[in-house]
Amino acid sequence: MSEVRVLIVDDEPDIRATVSAMLEIEGYDVEEAANGADALHAVEQRAPDLILLDMRMPVLDGWGFARELRRRGHVMPIVVMTAARDAARWAGEIAASSFVSKPFGYDDLITAVESARPAG
Amino acid sequence: MTALELISLVSQALFVGLFVVVVWAAYRRPSRSHLNTVLLFGSIAAVVTLARLSGWLGLDGRVVTGVSLTLLSVAPLAMVRLVDDFSGTPRWVQWAGVAAFLAVSGLAFATFGTELVLVELALLAWFLPVGGFAALAFGRAASRARGITRMRMAAVTLGALSFIGAIVVLLLGALLNIEMLETAGQVGALVAVLSFFLGFAPPAWVRQAWREPDLRRFLQSSIHLTGMADERTAVVQLQGAVADAFGATGAAIGLSDSSRGLLRYPGSGTGWDEYPEDAYIGGRAFSQQRRVIALDAAGEDPANAEVYRQNAAQTVIAAPITSDDRRLGVLTVYASREPIFVEDDLWLLELLANQTAVLLDARALSADASALKSREDAAQLKEEFLSAAAHDLRTPLTIVLGQAELLERRLARDPAAPIDFVSVKRIAREARRLRDLVGELLDVQRLEQGATVVNRLATDLRGVVGAVQQRLLDQGLDLKVVQPDAAVISSVDRKRVEQVLDNLVENALKYTSGGDMPELHLRSVGDEAQLSVVDHGVGIPRDEREQIFERFYRASNVQSITDTGMGLGLFICRRIVEAHGGRIWAEPTPGGGSTFKVAIPAEATVSPPAGPAAASWPIGTEAAADV
Repeated sequence: MSEVRVLIVDDEPDIRATVSAMLEIEGYDVEEAANGADALHAVEQRAPDLILLDMRMPVLDGWGFARELRRRGHVMPIVVMTAARDAARWAGEIAASSFVSKPFGYDDLITAVESARPAG
Repeated sequence: MTALELISLVSQALFVGLFVVVVWAAYRRPSRSHLNTVLLFGSIAAVVTLARLSGWLGLDGRVVTGVSLTLLSVAPLAMVRLVDDFSGTPRWVQWAGVAAFLAVSGLAFATFGTELVLVELALLAWFLPVGGFAALAFGRAASRARGITRMRMAAVTLGALSFIGAIVVLLLGALLNIEMLETAGQVGALVAVLSFFLGFAPPAWVRQAWREPDLRRFLQSSIHLTGMADERTAVVQLQGAVADAFGATGAAIGLSDSSRGLLRYPGSGTGWDEYPEDAYIGGRAFSQQRRVIALDAAGEDPANAEVYRQNAAQTVIAAPITSDDRRLGVLTVYASREPIFVEDDLWLLELLANQTAVLLDARALSADASALKSREDAAQLKEEFLSAAAHDLRTPLTIVLGQAELLERRLARDPAAPIDFVSVKRIAREARRLRDLVGELLDVQRLEQGATVVNRLATDLRGVVGAVQQRLLDQGLDLKVVQPDAAVISSVDRKRVEQVLDNLVENALKYTSGGDMPELHLRSVGDEAQLSVVDHGVGIPRDEREQIFERFYRASNVQSITDTGMGLGLFICRRIVEAHGGRIWAEPTPGGGSTFKVAIPAEATVSPPAGPAAASWPIGTEAAADV
């Protein structure tokens, strides 16, 4: 059985590093992107099983990325991670599977990812 | 009855009617000018009545003519007196008028009915100069007056001209036996009486039409005052508009302060003068809540006679400013002469007092509304502030928490595991960022309470610049500094100015790629010290050069640059600089980038003092002089 692959999209490198480290401990295969445009590129290279998505990013933000992703026919679950108070609403707007609000700890992140992770 | 007779009958009837009207007015409000109009129209009415009666009763024509001519000679005297009432005449003119009247009527009596031609000639000589003088004087009064008074005086002038013309023409006609002149005289008399009616007793609809422009002008010049922020300026301008509508010497608006029993008037300078609410004639109108007319202000309020004299306030009229049952204040108008038509002025005064009440009410309402608005704005700002603060704190907090938990897990699994230095560095860096953000928040908090700049001491700004440079050097950054050899002394809160420079240099570094170091310049410009932070970074869009100093504002071209802070840095800088009485602004750097300039008041450039003092002059610390 292959590992579950997660794409982390966030413009803050330290956030990406922290989230990566946590997911790697849990046995996920992790890839990173600094904004929506880079993330689309990464998805085209090798589609992940799940995407952890920051919403406010330069170049292409979370909304734009999600819209383009779905338009291209990708159906993998998205987990929204944001510092805004509107995390739940934004997650609804882009039909994300779950969300996690910054600041989050190890367990918060893993719970959100587990709940969104495709069965199998 | 011929047309001529009809004209004659109508004009005679009108003269009698006018006499009745002015008698009624004089009875209601006895004044010198009212009595003089009674005298003028009384003499004319008596002449025409006598002429009619003698026709019906068959009186001796010569006797009637003699009496008529005597009575008629009163008219010029009444005119001279009226001219004096309206615009003042030299005393000798009045005496000459009385003397001429006595001479003419004496001649008429002495030659009773015998020397008619002589008397008629004397009357002609009496009427022509006096009539011309009176018409001229009325005309001048009209040109000086405004609004309805001007129109009424113009009518009086026309009346006087045609009346004199009619009399002269009639006398000439009688002397020379020319019938044409009699016709002209009768027509002239009709024009005269109609004009006099318009002047001395205009019908209501005519008054309405004549008053309208005054009112319109007042409203036009005062309507914008409802939105004017400064109450005193608004009231001063309102006073001007009132005085202008009246063509009066001046107007005063007193605002009631009922809790202290005072009326406050805009004083000279920028303050208010307060008086007991029953002081002066205005106070009388306010406390009695009725219009007050003091034709002789000094006489009616002897306690303040000197004040009225000093302000050339011969006549004062005042009306309370009231809205519903709320006493807002009092409107006082003063003039250097008695008003010509008091009742019109009173009417206008009352109307303007009502309009003033409306304007004051509107001002109060809009002040309430804007107070409410600014409270809402403040609440909104606080909300935005908390939201922005919370958002900006969350990202570093996530990193600190996450990295700490990762370390915790690793150590729990294997206490002997090597410490992940990268992780520790991340934690430390983000913790510092949190500290800075919290510092910014606290700074803003302090700024709001207005206690940022506290320790102002005379300081050599070169020392401040040196400290900023040193701190950067400690981080391995070589900031280029350009500064004069002589001390630049300014009274500053040193820590705060360093904070401003740190912030500007930090921004310059943040928004410059490719390792181009910013420069820090210090120089004296006149009585200002100018500090410039010059970078060759991304620059600031032209139309955002002001906005970047606003709270939470981040220039549109740097929003994609990570770690732009909360958008409070420049806002804090501006507040600090302004607290020093200085200015901060941004300019483009020639060749690209931005230059931030700070100008703060400084002492004129001085050389370091020579002699013993020089040794104890620690460059960069506070000078000896406390400020």
